[in-house]
Amino acid sequence: MAEKEDENNLIGFDPLAWMNDESLATGGSTKNTETDSKNDVDNKQGLKVESNTFEDNITEEVLDVNIDSETVADPNNQQNEDIIDDSKITLDATLNIQNVAALYERLVNQLENQNQIEIDASAVVSIDTATLQLLIVLKQTAIKLHKEVIIDFPSDRFIEAAELLGLSEMLEVDQAAAGFF
Amino acid sequence: MAERVVAIINQKGGVGKTTTSTNLTHALAKSGKKVTVIDLDPQGHLAVSFGVINPNMSGIDEVMLGNTEIVQNLIPVRDNLQLIIAGPRLQEIEQLTEGGAKRGDLLRKALHENLDDQDFVFIDCPPSSGVLVANALFAADEILIPMASDFLALQGLSHMMGTIKRFETVLKKNYKLSLVMSRYASTRRISKDVLNTILQHFPEQVLTTVIRETALLAECPSFGKTILEYRPGSRSARDFRSLATDFLEHKVM
Ligand SMILES: Nc1ncnc2c1ncn2[C@@H]1O[C@H](COP(=O)(O)OP(=O)(O)OP(=O)(O)O)[C@@H](O)[C@H]1O
Ligand SMILES: [Mg+2]
Repeated sequence: MAEKEDENNLIGFDPLAWMNDESLATGGSTKNTETDSKNDVDNKQGLKVESNTFEDNITEEVLDVNIDSETVADPNNQQNEDIIDDSKITLDATLNIQNVAALYERLVNQLENQNQIEIDASAVVSIDTATLQLLIVLKQTAIKLHKEVIIDFPSDRFIEAAELLGLSEMLEVDQAAAGFF
Repeated sequence: MAERVVAIINQKGGVGKTTTSTNLTHALAKSGKKVTVIDLDPQGHLAVSFGVINPNMSGIDEVMLGNTEIVQNLIPVRDNLQLIIAGPRLQEIEQLTEGGAKRGDLLRKALHENLDDQDFVFIDCPPSSGVLVANALFAADEILIPMASDFLALQGLSHMMGTIKRFETVLKKNYKLSLVMSRYASTRRISKDVLNTILQHFPEQVLTTVIRETALLAECPSFGKTILEYRPGSRSARDFRSLATDFLEHKVM
């Protein structure tokens, strides 16, 4: 958020400044036609940058695909590093934009310390696109680092949401996988 | 599907979405284009702006709920211009929480293989970012963002762009995006700075004609008239005619 030098400018700070920081460029004419979050992951520092982006800019829930918009109980106390040490993470029932930043931080920390993360998605009854996107970014980051992110026991709702958005293949979840649970 | 499906969208309220939807579509229709405009806002202000007041009719609500076809809900409101009203159940769609995973896709499905004879379909979106707006973003390939010229509108635009970028990623789409200064307060100094800030971030995406704040534009909805009918010789009417040309020829700042 750059402060403006110009004394006469009446705009104290520019809320759109983040758009310049993004590897996803402005809405007109750019490379994000390609694939999903490829661009997000392409730069090495993508992790930290993205986590700011999520936190600062995506503050409301949108494209709520099959989901109710209630908030979830405990997102914020998960933010600190001290919670994580087992390699298995269980996703909450309701995943939405309000807790995506906290979840992201938690998963990224995990990925730094572990060669493999297993994410238990069996309890998910409601997931929004921000969270699905986060998982895609995480998966692709893992591939770059020669690590692995596995989504275990995805619930029907999880799969439905992923399929609707054409992401089930990238997330490697499909009906077959759900059958186990 | 029509040649161009354009969502008029901004989750901030009162920035001029409906005013733009009304007057830009009328100006385009008058220039000979075939235009359909959909009121996707449960408030139903678009219909009122065209002088259509009939709360007992169905509209895009029942179409999206799968109970009727889009062609059965077209209301001819002016030459070359047809309207699909919101309908009394549109709010239900916004609040629908069960009913399966396909909710974001209702409008796109409804438009599919329909309105082939139209040059443009415009969608007047509600000031929110819920299911209805998701439907508009699924259905549209173009986005027109009306903007007011104050600081908080800039803040709102930042949010809006976050939303749009997420949709682009998830839907693997690249919207054609343009902006219009739809409520430009030409007497305030900050307006120019707001516009300049926008231009920095959206070079060649802001339509050349600025719609100024005028009393007439605030008056005409209550008469159910567009500005082109209410005061055809006014500066605001000229603004909208020239905005229509900008839109057709992609004249940008
Ligand atoms: N350029 C203008 N000059 C004067 N008044 C305007 C102008 N544009 C819009 N208005 C008035 O401002 C109010 C809000 O405009 P409008 O309904 O078009 O905004 P909106 O974005 O559709 O609002 P909502 O978010 O509630 O749907 C209306 O009363 C309208 O007549
Ligand atoms: Mg409106």
